[in-house]
Amino acid sequence: MATTTPPTVLHLSLIVGGTLRDRNGGRLGSVDDLIVHLGEDYPPVTGVLARVAGRQVFVPASELAEIGHARVEMVSDRLDLQPFERREGEVLLRKDVLDRQLINIDGARLVRANEIEIARIEGWYRVVGVDTGLRGIVRRVVPRRVGTNMPPGAFLDWASVEAFTGHVPTVRLRIPHPKLARLHPAQLADLVEAASHNEGREIMTAVGDDSELEADVYEELDAQHRREFVEERPDQEVAHLLERMEPDDAVDLLGDLPDERREDVVRLLPPVQRRRVRALAGYDPATAGGLMSPEFVCLYAQASKAEAIERIERSRAPADTLAWVYVMNLDRRLKGAIALADLLRAPSDGKMGDVATFLPPRVSAEAGLEEVARLMTDYDLTVVPVVDERDQIMGVVSVDDVLEMVLPRGWRRRFDVLGAD
Amino acid sequence: MAGRVSALRAFRHRLLRGRSDGAPRGPLSRGTARLLAVIGFLGPGLIAANAGNDAGGIATYSSVGARYGFDLLWMMVVITASLIVVQEMAARMGAVTGKGLAELIREQYGVRWSLFATTSVLIANVGICISEFVGIGAALGLAGIPAQVSVPVAAIGVWLLLIRGSYKVAERIFVLMTITFFAYPIAAILARPDWGSVGHSIVAPSIHDSRAYLFLFIATAGTTITPFMQLYVQSAVVERGVGVDELNMERAEVTSGSIFANLVAMFIIIATGATLYLHGEHNISTASQAAKALEPFAGQYAEVLFAVGLLGASLLAAAILPVTAAYVIAETFGFEKGISRRIHEAPVFVAVITALILIGTVVAIIPGIPVIALLVGVQVVNGALLPVLLIFIWRLASDRELMGDYRNGRFFNVIAGLTVVATSALSITLLAVTIGAPFL
Repeated sequence: MATTTPPTVLHLSLIVGGTLRDRNGGRLGSVDDLIVHLGEDYPPVTGVLARVAGRQVFVPASELAEIGHARVEMVSDRLDLQPFERREGEVLLRKDVLDRQLINIDGARLVRANEIEIARIEGWYRVVGVDTGLRGIVRRVVPRRVGTNMPPGAFLDWASVEAFTGHVPTVRLRIPHPKLARLHPAQLADLVEAASHNEGREIMTAVGDDSELEADVYEELDAQHRREFVEERPDQEVAHLLERMEPDDAVDLLGDLPDERREDVVRLLPPVQRRRVRALAGYDPATAGGLMSPEFVCLYAQASKAEAIERIERSRAPADTLAWVYVMNLDRRLKGAIALADLLRAPSDGKMGDVATFLPPRVSAEAGLEEVARLMTDYDLTVVPVVDERDQIMGVVSVDDVLEMVLPRGWRRRFDVLGAD
Repeated sequence: MAGRVSALRAFRHRLLRGRSDGAPRGPLSRGTARLLAVIGFLGPGLIAANAGNDAGGIATYSSVGARYGFDLLWMMVVITASLIVVQEMAARMGAVTGKGLAELIREQYGVRWSLFATTSVLIANVGICISEFVGIGAALGLAGIPAQVSVPVAAIGVWLLLIRGSYKVAERIFVLMTITFFAYPIAAILARPDWGSVGHSIVAPSIHDSRAYLFLFIATAGTTITPFMQLYVQSAVVERGVGVDELNMERAEVTSGSIFANLVAMFIIIATGATLYLHGEHNISTASQAAKALEPFAGQYAEVLFAVGLLGASLLAAAILPVTAAYVIAETFGFEKGISRRIHEAPVFVAVITALILIGTVVAIIPGIPVIALLVGVQVVNGALLPVLLIFIWRLASDRELMGDYRNGRFFNVIAGLTVVATSALSITLLAVTIGAPFL
């Protein structure tokens, strides 16, 4: 923890509430707040928010000559009344930073800004540190005159501090937190757990620019927080995250999702990952359950051919699993199947129950790879449906998934060398 | 005092380094989790809600029943409504902002207001802490053990439990002991009160023009809507990571917990009203007198039953209060909290906890203290300080910038406003009466 004691340290709480004066010392108004531009190690003061004749006005840094306790002096004697508008990367020190939590990067801890220290370095006023101790509180509680005479104490170097800005109301004001990258994923996870939900989300968002780091932080988070954050992310992002996680952690994360979302997310994973996740989630990769794809088209026996075609058109399932279309009865039991080509040739006024006369062989999720392969060979099928104990279809295994598994290892390697997927 | 349910949970979380022991993990589906939550909340939840009826609460409700019979029952209905509204605001703020109340006051109103709020909460907390140790002394006093022996031993035990952090098992035992207070509804029924006049008292307010009535009124408000517990309803919501999507579940819990705990409180009043009041014992001054309300149910064992319940409730609160105080101080002054959650890693924590236990012990072993008067007196202080915190809760919960679409609706603002105005008026009246004439 770097601590410095430069000669002239100004305290924010003593600057705020002071008077704004023109070049000749004439009183113009009172100082409400200081505006700084975050992003640098020592953020420069870019302006003063003042109250002049009951109106809030903005005085840019270029108009300021000197900032001191109880008085801020302007360069000119003319006040150009500008209403305040937040600009990108700017925060109000008193409103947005003072009294709030900050991240002390060196200690990987959350601290509270009891006082903000400002000093003139390299020609201009900059935030140099933050007092997190009792002294800062005492100075603000005692009468102003006493506070002014209190000697400055040690404080935390701003270069190792990161402020939360999520509560700053400007729309889409997104200040990067570059210092966070210096922390270990486990430390970041600890911070997220200790911070409020919104502050935690800010850390997670900042970390999100580096997807490897983000995945690492998720792996370190406790279940409660992991659930909080993963729930509010869209499926695509969750899948993206899962790809970068260790499979067992990925399964944990998946477990944090509501039931109805899990399958949607798994579907978005690349095949290898998907199989691994499924395997860990309970299915052996060499079984029908581990191999199956949840994407298929299955209609009620009462559906018309036109409805079937429409469903196929809307389906996002890969072409190979759509080679067969399935039919179920009102109990959702698998009742028949029809090859896509046969469906197209079927009379257009036919009901699915009448045209899908083939009763397909089916397997349970526990069925082994060999059983699936044998069924495919015996029945000349490219797709085999997987059903649960109630004979309801859960997914389909297509021949390419099986081939991938039964192909001798050496063959596959040669394939890789040839540059095929 | 349903808030203690959440307070307990928050406390347990913290001792466990913020990891939830009971929270369903991984493969448990949302439906299962909800079912578990409902079961957990109907069983132990309600028992814990009742545990909030602590030493001060028992003393106050007993005094109310003995002094005025059923006359103040109507007030419990009003206070329950206020309690629900106040706790809902606290829970909502916790869910929306993800921050504790002390933290929000600090961020929104600055150091001075924050110190003001903290000081008033601390004064109330010190008072309650004293009352819990007095309760321990009184409970064991019924077994013939003098407070000068029992209280220091209990204090050392509580201190060790907190510092060693092996509080979990002890907490369960304490909570189980308070189940004995379920004897009150049975005793109340067995005492065959005139249910017609009970019902009449609930719907028809009767107001006495006396100082004692005012004191008991404020004490009842103070012990039912304890200031510190509002802080901890909010902290518990934050700690459990309750989001706005789970707010309705939280509302249901807050509402049913408040109603349940206050029902038990009303039965305490009915039980004492149907016994002590009818027998002409209008002024309770000892625990043994208060225990008589249980006689219709327990007969000669009334004192044992009362002692066990009082001991459990007092120990439970005696262990929670110092920690809650330490958290308020940490949030206000920005001392380290959260990451190093273990108590022994934080010197400020140990100092605050030790100080509170010490103060409680020292006061409780003073020979010949008027036990019941002191317990009720502490609740009067609580009630008098209540408006301070309520005003903050009210204002924060209606802050548009902070709460957005979740700020108070008009209906809420009216009830919350009425609660604030009523408690403030009572406090000011109390102040006027106290200054105008000597206390009691």
